[in-house]
Amino acid sequence: MIIRSHKIEVISRKEFEMIDLTPMVEQFLRECAVANGMVFVMTAHTTSSIVITEGVECLERDIPLHLERLAPKIPEPGTFGYYHNRILDFDGRLGFNAGDHLKSVLGGVSAMFAVENGELLKGSRQRVYFVEYDGPLARTVYLQAMGESAEAQA
Amino acid sequence: MKGGIDFHTHPVLAREMVARHPELERAARETYFIGNNFQPLEVMLLEFDLCGIDKAVVVPVDASTSRNATVYTNDQIVEVCAMSDRLIGFASVDPHDPGAPEKLHHAVATLGLRGLKLSPAMQQFYADDPLAFPVYEKARAMGIPILFHAGMSWQPGSKLKYGHPLRFEDVAAAYPDLNIVLAHLAWPWVVDAVALALKYPNVHLDTSALYFDNPVDFLRYAMTQQVPLTVFERSLRKQLVFGSDNPRIETKAMAMAVRSLGLSAECLELVFRGNAERLLGGRV
Repeated sequence: MIIRSHKIEVISRKEFEMIDLTPMVEQFLRECAVANGMVFVMTAHTTSSIVITEGVECLERDIPLHLERLAPKIPEPGTFGYYHNRILDFDGRLGFNAGDHLKSVLGGVSAMFAVENGELLKGSRQRVYFVEYDGPLARTVYLQAMGESAEAQA
Repeated sequence: MKGGIDFHTHPVLAREMVARHPELERAARETYFIGNNFQPLEVMLLEFDLCGIDKAVVVPVDASTSRNATVYTNDQIVEVCAMSDRLIGFASVDPHDPGAPEKLHHAVATLGLRGLKLSPAMQQFYADDPLAFPVYEKARAMGIPILFHAGMSWQPGSKLKYGHPLRFEDVAAAYPDLNIVLAHLAWPWVVDAVALALKYPNVHLDTSALYFDNPVDFLRYAMTQQVPLTVFERSLRKQLVFGSDNPRIETKAMAMAVRSLGLSAECLELVFRGNAERLLGGRV
């Protein structure tokens, strides 16, 4: 059994942004030499997501914007508010990004792929994205692959 | 239109500087008191791009006597400013230090820093204590503005009593040609700070206030309910400067809040650019 972990950093350049991680996950898989098993992708941040969706520019815009409609950064006056909008005494600042935390919950923070013969088992249109809700920021994504090498199975 | 100027930022999360100077991690966490992750300086600049900010004033705090610490030295401010021509460095000196006026002279004349940052709450002095007046006299003589922390303070052990706006009146009155900026609208004492600015044309206020709710709702409360917005629009348009207090408040969030208030385009131009340019002597 091989278990390999890896950390990558992505820098978001916009407030909302979807960054395609698929090439980085595939590169990691090649380097760790897991032929059959699984690979796990997780963001280390609570105002971001990991999602799998079709790799087209229109969806890259629609997904964060729809999540913003569901969990807005600043709700319409007179509608609702967030308990998180308070002084965080452990952080030295106010929490005013509750909407971004909620978008992260809605979008999810991880994804998993089966690996077969060294390839991600995924649909031809599927890509794995890091989704930024509070950029620009430097962000950490953890990858972990588990499985058998081709040699071990031979 | 030229981009704006953020008159109040702290470079405490700049990862490159922490890598060069490991003591800055403790300065950020324990002295400045912020829990956010360290970030490449590039991220700060990307955020400025996002919200139409060209340049930013970066400030240190010399709390040698009160905390046995500095949150960036003047030399470190020069170092971070060398990483981007979008950063404008201010100095800080410890008012308890008898050599403070000379250190300020060196910081401005030799290091090229453009203003002075003082935080009475962190540095534990009252702004109207005579011990600080030689520093003010030096700032006046060198033609640089002073950015004072005012109002509520975040750091454990830094007391609010040092931040009341009326503690700045003797300074404003004694040095009418010294420009001073009271940060954070001196919240919660916004009415007192506005009164001071109405009376003394050398008193300015920066917008970097956020103590509950979110930047939009908080600023609407402070600048339309605590004091009518018309006071800023009609009377203080030349004495209000945009400041975010980044990273305590992201520049993008504070910029959105200021733009949401309903100030006129002419007033916003002054707040985001013109007033800061004048305070910096027209050299931006």
